[in-house]
Amino acid sequence: MLNSRLGISLLSAGVALLAFSSAIAQQPAATPAAAAAAAPAVPLIPPTWAQGRSAEQEAANLSPHPPGLSSLPVAEIPLDKIKLPKGFEISVWASDIPNARSMVFGKNGTLFVGTRFVGSVYAVVEKDGKREVKTIAKGLHRPNGVAFKNGSLYVAELSRIIRYDNIEANLDNPPKPVVVFDALPKDEPHGWKFMTLGPDGWLYFQIGSPGNITMPPVTHAQIVRVDPENAVLETVAAGVRNSVGMAFHPVTKQLWFTNNGRDWVNDDLPNDTLHQVTHKGMNFGFPFCHQGDLIDNEYGKGRSCKEFDPPTFKLGPHVAALGMRFYTGKQFPAEYKNNIFIAEHGSWNRVKKTGFNVSRVVLDGKGKVVKYEPFATGFLQGETFWGRPADVQVMPDGSLLVSDDVAGAIYRIAYKK
Amino acid sequence: MKSFSRNAVGRGLIAFAALALVAAPAASAADAAAGQKKAAACFECHGADGNSLNPIYPSLAAQTPLYIYYQLLQFREQRRVNEQMSPVAAKLTDNDMTDIAAYFSAQKALGAGQPVDEARSGSGKGAAARYHCGSCHMPAFTGQNHIPRIAGLQYDYLVAQLRGFKTGARQDIDGTMASSAQPLSEKDIADIAWYLAGLR
Repeated sequence: MLNSRLGISLLSAGVALLAFSSAIAQQPAATPAAAAAAAPAVPLIPPTWAQGRSAEQEAANLSPHPPGLSSLPVAEIPLDKIKLPKGFEISVWASDIPNARSMVFGKNGTLFVGTRFVGSVYAVVEKDGKREVKTIAKGLHRPNGVAFKNGSLYVAELSRIIRYDNIEANLDNPPKPVVVFDALPKDEPHGWKFMTLGPDGWLYFQIGSPGNITMPPVTHAQIVRVDPENAVLETVAAGVRNSVGMAFHPVTKQLWFTNNGRDWVNDDLPNDTLHQVTHKGMNFGFPFCHQGDLIDNEYGKGRSCKEFDPPTFKLGPHVAALGMRFYTGKQFPAEYKNNIFIAEHGSWNRVKKTGFNVSRVVLDGKGKVVKYEPFATGFLQGETFWGRPADVQVMPDGSLLVSDDVAGAIYRIAYKK
Repeated sequence: MKSFSRNAVGRGLIAFAALALVAAPAASAADAAAGQKKAAACFECHGADGNSLNPIYPSLAAQTPLYIYYQLLQFREQRRVNEQMSPVAAKLTDNDMTDIAAYFSAQKALGAGQPVDEARSGSGKGAAARYHCGSCHMPAFTGQNHIPRIAGLQYDYLVAQLRGFKTGARQDIDGTMASSAQPLSEKDIADIAWYLAGLR
């Protein structure tokens, strides 16, 4: 793909300076003679999560948490640690689902679950009041995004969208997938996708920045949409570092999304953000401006945050705001109607951990945020976490499901009085 | 509800979470003594004390327990394929894996016995710094969490893995090594492996 080639060369140029300067900073270990003998022929790129890290920040010894590849037995999931508002209760809805992340319901009530690290897609079905977990696909490449349309399950892998037709009737013998769209970049960093079906029938997903902080190719740091019938791709919004959660407002039908802010500024900046797309051509500022008002130290030189569209709300630094959904159920009290629930996966790039919650955002009639508060807490105990929320989903009965990609389970939160 | 035949998954995870996140002194649930018995099939290649005597097999002594557990999982689930390891891992439960990991990680690493060539080691040390290997593998290359100790591993093994990451023959869990290995020349690979193999 022409664009992604262009992308790679732009990316290399973009990070070259950064890599070069940090290579010099780290050079004293080598003798001058040895360093000269092994002079690099190509730009040297630090691990993408370490781009933008200063020499002083290395001492903090922070790096991404290990991925969740296994699951906790149901008896060992410490749900008694979870705190909820009065009247709500939480239970294990399904377990033994390693790396459970994005969720979508099929028309007949099957819950489909994507994964980032284990290559599988699961289907959870209700049977006699119990849940059965089936692995309907294995060996896919980061099948994180799932959407459902006209009886078909759409799965977003790292660089392509595939489709399983008439899937709910064939859970025990799934059909071979049909490739819907495969002209997507192959970058691993921020390459896994969150995907959702728009009211227009298009599939919406992100193409993230291929690294922590870098000048992204024109193909990246966007939210895009694909028409699954005609395989046409369009940009929905630009300047988005990496969105791993999006949903359409049930009344306005506008797209809202969460965005993960860059790392290595400091413990309290920048914030992860909540955005709404109100018109075409919006640009939310990455990599020049973060959170609407913080110019980037390096890429922001000579730029102004006034050039860009601001976020709707700041969610807190490093919380890792992932899956978000509007509460459209009827079970919770009336004040929860059309609230946003956000799965906050929790921080790694912060000395004192933050996030590791399900949060609640209350909007007024004009779409302004009037309240932002933790809804389900306790995944983090002191500085140790036992689980990490990755997505939320409203059940047909109005309960809220929460996926946890470390405990490998899905919880159900219900309102009882 | 499904029955939980794979009870060990969770116990292992809790144990490793404790190790990884609060640096607890030992994994409480994983059983190193049981692991020693279960690891008998590993000894011929990896050494009874986890110090390999054959350069194509990596030492496992003092390896991080989460790395050993996750790689065994990858072999069993066929996300890492190797004609010797895949059949061995296919028979292991998660409980077996965490026990085996606990055993090998508690052994003393004796190093690979690599002859020292100061100039070559110096070039490898420089290359390892330029390519930021220590960012994930830690400054002394002793590993952390699911990121392996690479200090004192066998030269032939290290060369084969770096080549494998570069070509895609070896898949890694999150793509970090595939990206990192792309710019490595054959000389870089040889120098870095030489340097690491000479460390303890």
